[in-house]
Parts: sequence; structure tokens; C-alpha cells
Amino acid sequence: MNNPENRLSDYIDDLNAEHEPKKNRGIADTPELEKLLQTARLVRTLREPALPNSGYPQKLAKAIATEIQKNKFTDGQQTINPNIKRDNPNRETTAGRPRRKWALPPVAALAAGILLLAVLASWTGLFNRDVVYAMEKAVAQLSNYHGVLEMRSQNAAGEEWMIRRVELWSEGEKYAVRLDDGTLTVNNGEQKWQVRPQSKEVALLPLVPDPTRHGFDLRDEAKRAKQYPHTVAGSDIVAGRKATKLEILPPGGLAYYLWVDIETNLPIQLQTAMQNALQTTYTFVSFEPNTKIDFQIFAYQPPEGYKLVDKDPGQLVATVEEAAVISSLTPLPPKEAPDRIFAFKDRIVLDYGDTTIVETKAQGAFEPVANSALGTAAGGPLEIWWERLRWRQNGIEIKVEGLRRLELARQIAADLTLPDTGANMVNKAQVKVPVDMEITSASQQQVDRGSSPWQLDPLQVSLTFVNLKVTPEGISGEPEMPMSSFKLVTNNGAEAVVEVANGPVKQVYLQRLVRQDETGIWSVVGYDPR
Amino acid sequence: MTVNYLKKAQEGDIKSIEQICMATWEPLYRFIYFKVQNREEAEDITQETYVKTLTYLQEHNISVQDFPCFMKTVALNVLRDRWRQKKRRGVPVNFDEINPQETVNLEQDQQIAITQRMQIENALARLNAKQRTVLDLRIIKGYSVAETAKLVGKTEAAVRTAQYRALQALAKVLDSND
Repeated sequence: MNNPENRLSDYIDDLNAEHEPKKNRGIADTPELEKLLQTARLVRTLREPALPNSGYPQKLAKAIATEIQKNKFTDGQQTINPNIKRDNPNRETTAGRPRRKWALPPVAALAAGILLLAVLASWTGLFNRDVVYAMEKAVAQLSNYHGVLEMRSQNAAGEEWMIRRVELWSEGEKYAVRLDDGTLTVNNGEQKWQVRPQSKEVALLPLVPDPTRHGFDLRDEAKRAKQYPHTVAGSDIVAGRKATKLEILPPGGLAYYLWVDIETNLPIQLQTAMQNALQTTYTFVSFEPNTKIDFQIFAYQPPEGYKLVDKDPGQLVATVEEAAVISSLTPLPPKEAPDRIFAFKDRIVLDYGDTTIVETKAQGAFEPVANSALGTAAGGPLEIWWERLRWRQNGIEIKVEGLRRLELARQIAADLTLPDTGANMVNKAQVKVPVDMEITSASQQQVDRGSSPWQLDPLQVSLTFVNLKVTPEGISGEPEMPMSSFKLVTNNGAEAVVEVANGPVKQVYLQRLVRQDETGIWSVVGYDPR
Repeated sequence: MTVNYLKKAQEGDIKSIEQICMATWEPLYRFIYFKVQNREEAEDITQETYVKTLTYLQEHNISVQDFPCFMKTVALNVLRDRWRQKKRRGVPVNFDEINPQETVNLEQDQQIAITQRMQIENALARLNAKQRTVLDLRIIKGYSVAETAKLVGKTEAAVRTAQYRALQALAKVLDSND
């Protein structure tokens, strides 16, 4: 095992195991090997760093306190220069290697004792008052807020910079967002507009649907935190407020953190997982919940001298018939009357508060999003994509988005059926394909980072699988079996079957093994030979 | 982080040290990890950096305006010392040729990290597909030799040779860029 190839390989293994390369393995007795070890480390900077286990800062603090106390006792008045390393084989370490002991000197032991007492005293409070439950309650009771939200990015080298700073006002359905450059977007429930000081314009925007709403939203964050497994990972001071740090772990994904203000129980900071060596932190640097908001901010008052830009923001009409005349469509409204109806030149929007229906003229062939689940509606396919349903009926394309999408969609298409998740389609496969879950989980994380998005598309996964069967040495150039040979037969969101027009495989059976939502990758679990 | 916290931390007050650690550990740890590329050593050096920084500030009775920058400079010195020690023991692992005079400039550091990343990505793009695959599986994705061998349909010995040659080729491309 002494040749350079093995030494290099062992060095890589040590780094992959997150250990300091062992001395006998790290010896680079030639400049060439030294260069290769350095190059291996350089390549490794492209991946995300392995972070310590939760509770690390506390453990680190204890070890540092012990070290400082120990230095006081052993060094006396000796001057310490930070440039000179002091070798102390018994030095405490958070890395926890056996060669170093965890021994608490009396002062640190006393401090640890006090800390333990403090934890015990707050024990009842900590566990009876679940942080997420309290946050959910606080968010539900939130009537309004005003705050300044900062978005910062951090790279794998630990460097941080600010991307954006926005001021927010929110009251029920109304909101206003002001960017650094002064651009102000307001939705007051009756109108939505944007004031652009740089071009001296006021743009009227369509009121619904409103994607601006889906940014960093306190309600969404509270909901997600409740939905995913979470643990308390300590406490921090965020923008001068004491906060509980929650580690949230989406199934099969990477952990991210949410800080909940101890005083108000509201989320005040969110840190995404490090993806592609970049991580974003959203912090409310100032935050006033349930406060007095100046309602002038929600009033439509175009500044003097500003040009009005109106790109068909639609008009509020009283009846569906009126909307039909403006849009030249014959709409298919649900039985339940909408709160508001908006008519545009080419579409009608029915607003139900928590749900929006958009109807347009059907054009071209209906092509469901590759990664969507499929059901049926009005005798044709129904696309199920996140919180949206889409299908065609009587020459109209209908999109229903929001909480009550199913209830309202069924009022338009009574025959609407959702995919059968209990069908267990993949059991029918004549040949079973074994799956290595470790590799699948690694692939899922790779896709979460934004790489290889094709794995989210059952057609693309089938294309790769079948073509590798046809040309096992690998696909080079155009695949032998083109995409036009593959057709999605069923997709219930968890399992899918793809039909292949020709070649050695008749049907491919796929499953979302890690996560059964739109972010989950597909794996081939079986096939029927032709 | 207040001056008060810093003062108490220098005396070994665990609560103040904890406050400082919680507010500052992550950027420092990431900075060190970027250089050493393993958790064990990064945790170790992070701890050593805190101890050195706090002890130094106490003994010289000074306060620093930019604590994180100062700590990163101390971390660089710790890394350099370790490199020297290893060299004495015959382990010349060069931590990116740390300049003794080097101090940390956050903006410059960030720019260097971005440029370095681009250089590595460009250099990887100049390797052939097989070389890229073996480095991707072994170093970026972290698969073992046995797993990589299974994935690429080769023997373990062939994987070791392939990764050695791929790194040789990459080092050559990176050198030609210098």
C-alpha cells in the first residue's frame, strides 16, 4: 500500500471521512505527490463543507473556557503570541479525538454546574411550550407587521455579502414592499401597483394571481416548520433579539435553520442550506408585530409628474357575463360565486380569496409539466402541479390554484379524478430493477443543489435507462431511442409508468423513493421487456 | 457582540464565550474548513484560534475593531504553524502557500474564493469525461473506491490509477493557468 496511487487514494478517503489525514498516509515524499494532495483539496472546495454536529458552539465554548483556565494555571505570566503555536497534547478539543482528554478544571466545572441548573430550571418551560406550536399560534394571531428584511449570501469560504434590503408593511391581505432603490410595490386588495422612482413611472399590475406574495412569508415558514421534522438547536441573538434556533430537516434534503423570537414567538431569521457553495440568510433586522401602520402606505396616490404604465391590469366587473364580453371567452364558472371577477382582453380571473381560477382560450396541444402528477378531468388529462390544477374543457384552459382548488375544480368538471396513490402500479413490472438507496439519496441532494434536474422528469429518467440498455457503453451524441418514443401513461405523484414505442423495453416503472412531491427525483424500479 | 462580552470571555467566563462563539463560529469554521477540507481538523483549528485570540487580547489588553477579521488572521497563522510542524515531521502539506504577512481582507478574500472556484471549474471542464467522472464521484460526491468502481464498471485498482492521472492532468491545467 505504499505506492503513490494508494497514498493519494487513502488521503482522499480520509478527507471524505472528515478526518485529518493520518500522518503515515499524508506523507508526500515527492513534490509531485504533494502537488496532487493539494489539487485534491482544491477540487474538494467545490463541495459544501461538512458542518459540526448540533450543539457545537456550546461544546466549543466549554472547551475554550477550559483551555483558557488551564493556560492561566500553567503559564503564569508568560506572554502569549498568537503567531506561536503552543503544543499541548492534552488540549481539549471539540473534534473529540481520544488522545485528548475532556477534563474540567474547578472553575469551569462550577460554570458548567450553574449552566446545568439554569437548564434544569427552564426544563418545564422548554418542553411544555413547544416552540413551533407557539410560533404557529403567534403567526395566526398576527394582525399586521412592519419590518426591514435583509437578505445576505454566504459562500463556502465563509464570506458574506448583502444582496438586498427591503422594507415591508403587511396587514391582512394588504401589503407593501419597498426595495433599496425606492421601488415600491403595493397590493391593497383592490389594486396592485408599482412606483418606480428611477424611471418616474407608476405601473398598474394585475391583482391576481399574485406571485409577489410567495417570498419570505412568516405564515409559510411557520407552516413548513410544523410540517417537517425539527429540533431546537440552541439560542442566539438575532438583530438584538433573543431567539431560539430551530433546525428543520425536509425529508431527504439538507437541514436549514429558522430563528424564532423568544418574546413574540415569531420567526425572525431563516438560513437556507448551503447549495452550490452559496447560502442565503433572511433576517428581520427590525420587526414590529401588531403595530400601528400608517394606512397612507396602502393608498393609491401616484406621485406628481410620474408616467402611468398600464399593461392591461384587468378590470373589476360585476358579473361573469360582463367578463365574457370583455375577454371574448365563454367561461365555465363554478357554482359558487367568486368574491371578485377580473376581466382581461384574453382571460378571466375569478378570485375566491384563498383560491384563484384563471380561464383562457385553449391553444395548441395540452402538454402537462413533465414532473406533474396526472389525473383526469372533462374526459382529458388533468395536471397536478404543486398547489395548481390545470385541464381543458370546452375549448377553455382552466387553472385553479390555492387552498380550495379541488372543491372549486369539481364544481366545473364533475368527473374530475385524482391519481390513485394506492394503485401500486410498479408491482406489475415483469423485471425488477434493484435500487441503491445511498446513491439515490446522494442524487436527490445533488438535484436539490440544482444539478441534474432531468432526474425530476420521469420521461428523461426512462430515456436514459432505456438508452443505456440499447447502448450499454454510454450515450454519446443523440440517443438511439429519441424522446418522441416515450409517453407518460400514469403518474400519481409517487409512482409512474412510461410507455416506450419501440426497442427492447415496452414499459418503464418508476418511483419517487426519497420524497413524494414535485422536488423528488424518479428512479427506475422495473420494466417490461418487449 | 459587546466589549463587555469580550472582556469577560478573555477571563474565561463560559457564558460570554458561548455568546461570542454562537455569534462568530460559523464564518470562522467555514473559512478554516475551506483550507483544510476535513471536519476534524477544522474543529480543532477553530478551537485553537479562539483560545489564541482571546488569550492574546487579554494579555495585550487591547480590543479589536473587527473581531472576525482578526480571528481569521490568527487562524491563518495557526494553519501556517501546523504546516511548518508537519514539514518538520516530513509531511510537507502546503496549505495554499500562506503568506506570513497575509492579513484577512474580507472583500479581497471573497473575490479570491470566487476566482479560485471559477479556475477549478474551468480546469475541470478541460479534462476528458472519464477524468471528470472519477474526480466527481471520488472527491466531490465522496464515494469510496469500491462504490466508484461499481458505478463506472472498473476495478478498484483502475479507479485509483484513474484518479491519480486525473489529478495529475488537473494540476497541469491549473499550472498552465498561473
